[in-house]
Amino acid sequence: MTKELKLDPRTKLIIVLCFSTLGVGTNQILVLFFISVLALIVAKLFKVDLKRSLGKIKSLLKVLILIALVQSIFSPGQPLISVGNFNLLTIKGLEKGLQFILRMFIVIVSVTIMGTSTYREIIQGLVQWKLPYDIAFMVALGIRFLPMIREEIQDSLTAIQLRGIDIKNIPLKERINIYSYLFTPILVETLIKAERLAAAIEMRGFRAYDSRTSYLQLKLKSIDYLIIFLSLGLIILIFIKIYT
Amino acid sequence: MGIIEIYDLYFKHKPEDDYLLKGLNLEVKEGEILALIGQSGCGKSTLLSIICGIIPHIRRGCIEGQVKLMGEEVKNIKIKDIAKRVGIVFQDPDSQIFLPTVEDEIAFGPENLMVPREEIGHRIQRALKAVRMEAYRYENPNNLSGGQKQLIALASILAMEPSIFLFDEIMAQLDEEARRQVKKIMLDLNKAGKTIIFVEHDTGALDLAHRVLELKDGVLRELKGW
Repeated sequence: MTKELKLDPRTKLIIVLCFSTLGVGTNQILVLFFISVLALIVAKLFKVDLKRSLGKIKSLLKVLILIALVQSIFSPGQPLISVGNFNLLTIKGLEKGLQFILRMFIVIVSVTIMGTSTYREIIQGLVQWKLPYDIAFMVALGIRFLPMIREEIQDSLTAIQLRGIDIKNIPLKERINIYSYLFTPILVETLIKAERLAAAIEMRGFRAYDSRTSYLQLKLKSIDYLIIFLSLGLIILIFIKIYT
Repeated sequence: MGIIEIYDLYFKHKPEDDYLLKGLNLEVKEGEILALIGQSGCGKSTLLSIICGIIPHIRRGCIEGQVKLMGEEVKNIKIKDIAKRVGIVFQDPDSQIFLPTVEDEIAFGPENLMVPREEIGHRIQRALKAVRMEAYRYENPNNLSGGQKQLIALASILAMEPSIFLFDEIMAQLDEEARRQVKKIMLDLNKAGKTIIFVEHDTGALDLAHRVLELKDGVLRELKGW
């Protein structure tokens, strides 16, 4: 069993930034594949439950695969599979599709690596990097709100199903109608929750002073410095290799 | 002079609505425990929101009359200054818990009030001990039950150490043992000279109040011999 690697969230941010920059900055499939494997190894070291994380974005994965397929089919170039005069799949298309899938894979794995720190730790990391607390806190709170909206939608859908409407087995037009009925109550409920949350935050003295103390203090250790150095070294090395 | 003074308070949510509070008067003395009862929708929670300045500073409404906190009109005190004096625990714990660990949640208030780091540590310990939730310090509050979340919300306010505590039906989701614990906390706070106003449906909790007021038809009347 691998031992979980405990790193400062700032180190994780740098690793993720390096992976993402490399993912976006190169078109070479071999390099992208190498970064994907590296990202997977790092995720494994952080004990990321990739199966669970990928399960959560199952629908998004389907869309990504579809985009990759469309990109493969409609790219011109030397044909691999043709039907009559129509090139169904070209070498260029296959390359583009693979590039897209690998890039997305790198981004997704990078996000899951960040998920091994709580958002309070990430906020503190950003604050210690001199980002204003208000901004870091509001961004984190915004992220917290996404699952809340999802939960709200799920609750409303369950309530509708409990009233005898099998939403999965009704015609698309009616389904869209039902979703449009749900939109207003979900929006109103979310706004009410947001207002209550804002009141609770204000009543806890948010922005009472220009500055604030922080109980959580992050300190970079030698292993953090080593990994930051290695990550930055790797990104520079790969870019030199690519562009020379 | 009372720590909270309300004179001839009229309130309605929108101009076209009927008045919810109709000429309400109240004086709460420092160190008093006051219980507010009344039917659902009679305006108890609204009254608490007015006392702590959520109305009109955060939520809107048509408000007339005078509401004073420690001799100053609430509408003239900034919400951040009210937060230093008044701590409110709401009915719904989900809308007041927003950080990823119990420790972060309790530390949030004192951090905003610039309490030194070491002192925050002591306050977290004291607050968790008071609500008997020490074992959950590093837990994600979202994984706790409704009652446990409510205790964490209470601990978060305890750690801010305000002079006035407002509790809006905080015992509704608690089991018998936790209710006893919350009552003990209220008595301990009172011994330390804190002022408490609590809204409660459960008459079993009223025995610790110095006064019980019923909110009916927009005005308060004192209940005796409850």
